Amino acid sequence: MQVTKVSPGVVKVTGAHMGVLERLYIPQVLAGMVVTMKHLVKNLFNLKKLPTISYPEEKRVYSERFRGRHILTSREDGTTRCVACYMCSTACPAECITIEAGEDERTREKFPVRYDIDLLRCIFCGYCVDACPEDAIYMTRDYEMAIDSRARSVVGLRDLVVPPNFPVAPMGWRPYYGSVDKKGTAGGTGLGQARRDAPFDDDAPANPDVYAGA
Amino acid sequence: MRRGFRAVVAARNDTSIAMSTLTKFSATPFTGPAPTNRDPFIPAGVEAIDARAAEIAPSHPALQRESGQDMATFDVPPEAIVDVLRTLKANGYTMPLDLWAVDYPHRDKRFDVLYQLYSLKSNERVRLKVRVGEEEAIPTGTGVFKGLDWYERETFDMFGVRFDGHPNLRRILCHEAFQGHALRKDYDPAQRWVLTEKDVARIIPKIDPRFEDVDTDFERVTLNLGPSHPATHGTLRIVVTLDGETIIGADQEIGYLHRCFEKMSETHTYQQVMPYTDRLNYCSAFINNVGYSLTVEKLLGITAPPRAQHIRLILSEFMRIADHLVCLGTNLVDMGALTNFWYLFQPREEIYGLIEACCGARLLPSYCRIGGLAVDAPSDFLQNAQRLVNMLPKYIDDVEKLIDKNKIFLDRVVGIAPISAEAAIDYGFTGPCLRACGVAYDVRKASPYLGYETYDWQVPIADGGDTFARYLVRMEEMRQSLKILQQAINRGLPDGPVIVDNPYVALPPKAKVYNEMESLIYHFKLIMHGIQPPVGETYFPVEGGNGELGFHIVSDGTKNPYRVRCRPPCFQIYSAFPDMIIGQTIPDAIAALGSLNIIAGELDH
Repeated sequence: MQVTKVSPGVVKVTGAHMGVLERLYIPQVLAGMVVTMKHLVKNLFNLKKLPTISYPEEKRVYSERFRGRHILTSREDGTTRCVACYMCSTACPAECITIEAGEDERTREKFPVRYDIDLLRCIFCGYCVDACPEDAIYMTRDYEMAIDSRARSVVGLRDLVVPPNFPVAPMGWRPYYGSVDKKGTAGGTGLGQARRDAPFDDDAPANPDVYAGA
Repeated sequence: MRRGFRAVVAARNDTSIAMSTLTKFSATPFTGPAPTNRDPFIPAGVEAIDARAAEIAPSHPALQRESGQDMATFDVPPEAIVDVLRTLKANGYTMPLDLWAVDYPHRDKRFDVLYQLYSLKSNERVRLKVRVGEEEAIPTGTGVFKGLDWYERETFDMFGVRFDGHPNLRRILCHEAFQGHALRKDYDPAQRWVLTEKDVARIIPKIDPRFEDVDTDFERVTLNLGPSHPATHGTLRIVVTLDGETIIGADQEIGYLHRCFEKMSETHTYQQVMPYTDRLNYCSAFINNVGYSLTVEKLLGITAPPRAQHIRLILSEFMRIADHLVCLGTNLVDMGALTNFWYLFQPREEIYGLIEACCGARLLPSYCRIGGLAVDAPSDFLQNAQRLVNMLPKYIDDVEKLIDKNKIFLDRVVGIAPISAEAAIDYGFTGPCLRACGVAYDVRKASPYLGYETYDWQVPIADGGDTFARYLVRMEEMRQSLKILQQAINRGLPDGPVIVDNPYVALPPKAKVYNEMESLIYHFKLIMHGIQPPVGETYFPVEGGNGELGFHIVSDGTKNPYRVRCRPPCFQIYSAFPDMIIGQTIPDAIAALGSLNIIAGELDH
C-alpha cells in the first residue's frame, strides 16, 4: 500500500502499484510462501518459544492481578474475616452474592452464616474485593471452574473460606492500597508476605519467557 | 482491634505503602464541595454554546432554543420535524448521528425524542428535542436521512413512539412475541416473553427495483444466512433473495444478542454500569470503559488525574489495534487466507496480556473507574508496552507482504460492496468505514479527548468505500496508532495518583478504610448510595474501534442513571448493508460483512 499526504493531519492510503510480473498470480503467491516458510523455519528452530500453549499440560501464567475464583480469608484465631456487612453483595453488578448474617454469642460480632457466590452469574469484575472493608474477600488466579451441573455453580462458605495465614501474596485481584509494589506486575501490596506460587496453580509455569509479564 | 489487624501491621511495616497512601490522601477530611443531587448540571463553556445556538435558531421558525445544554439544543414541535431536518441538512448538518428517546411518565407529553445531527463542515452538533405524548406520532425522517430508518424502529420498539410514514416500522431489537415497550419506565422487566416458531416473522426481502424486470434463466431463491453461521461473526441474520448467484434483495434481522444494556443501566449505580459497557464492543472493551467514564466525569465536572489519562490513552490505542487485528484476521479467514489470522492474532494475545497485567482480565477489563482507574499500572507497564510496539509492525508487515499484491485477494475485494461518501454520511457512518469513503472524520481529531490533540498522527482515508478501501484504512490506522503509542511511551507516565481524591466519587484507599473512621464512612456511603451527579444530561463521544461511540446520560440526581443511551457505531453501518450488497454475490457479501466489523454485542446493545 502507498500512503500519501493530502492535507495536514490526513493521509490517503491507496493500493500498491502493481508491475506486470505482480499482476500474474503465481509470483505473488510464491512471495507469500516465502513469508510463511520463514515463519515455519524460525519456529522449527525455536520450538521452546512457540506461542501456542499445550493446555492442559501447559498453562498460561497470569499476572498477580488476575480476577479468578474468590476466597474468604480468616483471622489468626480461625474465624472468618467477613463480618457480613453486605458491602460486596451491594457492589456486585451481577447480584451473585447471597449473605445471611449471624451473631457470635460470645463476642457479639456479626459473621456470615451463609455466604454463597453463584459462579455462573459472577462476571469476575472484582467489585466485591474493592468493596470489602475488612480485607476478607480476595480473588485467586484459579480459572479452572468447570462444573457438571448448575447446582454446583453455587459455592458456599465451605468452598470459599481458607485457613489463617493462607499465603495470599501471589494471588489474584486484591484490595488496592494506592501504590504499586516494587516487584512490578503485581497489584496491591503483598501484605508483607513472602512471594510464593499460587496454591491453585500447582503445575509448573508454562512458557515463562513468552508470557511472563505481558 | 482484631479486624484488619494484619493490614494495619503491614501498612505500618511497609514504608512504601505508608508513604504513598498517606501523602497522596491526607488524613484531613476532604474539603471540596460535596455534590448534592439538587444541583443542576452546568456544562463547561455553556455561554459559547448558547451563543452558537442563538445563531442557528433563525434558520427555521420552529426551532425553540433550549439554553444551558452541553450542545446547541432546540425544541421542535412534532409536525415541523421533517421540515427542520431538511433545513438543517441543507445548512450542512448532513450526518444523522443518533435518535433516541427518554421517558418521563409523570409528564403530559411523556416522551422526549432526541435527534442528534452533525455537521462535517463546521464540526458542530445540534440536538433536537421533540416532545410527544403516548398517543401522538412523529412524521418519519427517513425521507431526509436514510440513517434514521433503524433508529426510528428502535425507538418504536423500545418506547412505542410511532413514526408516521416509516416504510417498515416493526420491532428491531425485541422479537415479535414481545409485548409492551421495554425502555418505558412503567414496563415491568420481570416478564418473560417466549418466542414460538409460529410468531417468528417471515422475512421476505423486497427485490431491488433495478432487478425487478431483469429476465434471467435462473430461478429466484430466498436464502437464509445466519444467525449462527461462522461467516457472520456473531449472531446476525441476513435473508437474501438470489437470482442465480446475484443478490437482488436483502434484509436483516438483529437483536439476537440484545442484553438490555440501556434498561440494566437504569437499575444499577453509575459505577456498576462499567462492566456492562465491557460487553458492548467486546473486541475493544477498554474503549467502551473510557467512553462511559469520560461521560460520567463530564457530568460530574471532574477530570481524571494525568497518570490515569495517559494509561487510558495507551490502552485505548492498543485496544483499537486489537479491534482491527480481529476484524482483518477474521475477514481474511472468510476469504480463505487463514495464515494471516495466525499472524494477526498472536500480537492480539500479547495486547490482552498487557491489559491483563493491569487489571486482571483479558477480554472484559472493567479497568476504568469513574474518576480514574481501578489500580495503578504495574511498574513494568511501559517496558511491556514498548516491547509490544516493537513487535507489532513485523506482524502487520507480514500480512501486508502476504496479501497486498496477491491477485487472488485483490480480486475478492477491489470494487466489492462499495458505498459512496454521500450515502455513507446519509446513513450516519463513522469510523474506518466512513474514512474508507474518503471522509476524514475521526472523533480524536474533531473533538479531542485524553490529549489526542498533542500527538502527531494522521487520519488515514481511502477512495472507493469498497472492501479493499476498508482494509487499507484499517491497516494504516494500526500504524498510526503505533505512532501515537510510541510518542506516548516516550513521554512516560506522569507521576501522581490514578484516581481523583474525592470520596464522593472514588473509594478511599484500603489502608485508610481499615484505619480511619472518616474513610470507612465514605467507603460505605459510596458503595450504598453510589455516585450522585448533578441533574442534567450530557453526551460524550469517543472514537471506538469502528466509529463514534457516544454515551448520553440523563441524570436525575440519584445513584442510578435515569437513562443511559449508547450510540453504537455498528448499528448505522449495518443498516446500510443491504444497499451495499445488492448486485453482488454471496461470497462477496461475506467478505464485505467481515470488513464492516459488525460486533453483535454493540449492534444489539
